[in-house]
Amino acid sequence: MSFAPDIYQRVVSAKMFMDDNLEEAIDLEQISKQAFLSRFHFHRIFTRVYRKTPHQYLTEKRLKRAKALLAKEGISISEVCSSVGFESLGLFSTLFKKMNGYAPQYYRNLAYLKKKLAKEQPKKFIPHCFIETFKLDK
Amino acid sequence: MITKLSHASLFVNDQTKAYDFYVNKLGFNVHTDVTMENGFRWLTVMPPDQPDLEITLLTPLTEAMHYDDEAKQAFKTLLDKGAMGAGVLHTPDCKATYEELKAKGVEFKSEPKRAILWY
Repeated sequence: MSFAPDIYQRVVSAKMFMDDNLEEAIDLEQISKQAFLSRFHFHRIFTRVYRKTPHQYLTEKRLKRAKALLAKEGISISEVCSSVGFESLGLFSTLFKKMNGYAPQYYRNLAYLKKKLAKEQPKKFIPHCFIETFKLDK
Repeated sequence: MITKLSHASLFVNDQTKAYDFYVNKLGFNVHTDVTMENGFRWLTVMPPDQPDLEITLLTPLTEAMHYDDEAKQAFKTLLDKGAMGAGVLHTPDCKATYEELKAKGVEFKSEPKRAILWY
């Protein structure tokens, strides 16, 4: 099913509003207003276009941002949780583990190890054929 | 036995601009971004739903790649003309993605058109 171009523009505008405000406690009412659509119609069109509900999209986006923050130093897990818009650390941890297969702390440990290895032995990340082709050993 | 593609390479003029395009505009994820002592930058990105496919963004213009001046000029000419590299990206909705990328400043040669593929 296809929609008129202005409908796409309005839904995209609402999607970008979610991207820019995912740390805030935004709800469907506020989001659908960005598209100048009722909550019902916005929800229906968004789900048809993106194959996921606005809530699912927002949650995934928040958890993806959390991954980037967990890889940084100087920010605790509870600070990561609140800065991506979750109010409950328990819910954040459960959803994070469901999406990524690891708990936030475990993911953080892996990210630190990867960063350390990238700094000390960057060639470990490069397939040997590239090292040979581009003479990276020399 | 070969089972899948793990890496694909794209040559780019500028890795920083390429990072901005693929990560910030197209929404790809960064897999690895390391710079070696000689300046060689290994930058790989992944499409959101293909975490095991690394797309290597390489610039042939740096000294670390060991291409001679003639080769570098040839690369630059082809890259400037947009003659190198092509691919097909999948999206759940072409028109919505088009509108979003347009809003983010991506230039398109034409609007999306309906086409029927053989499969």
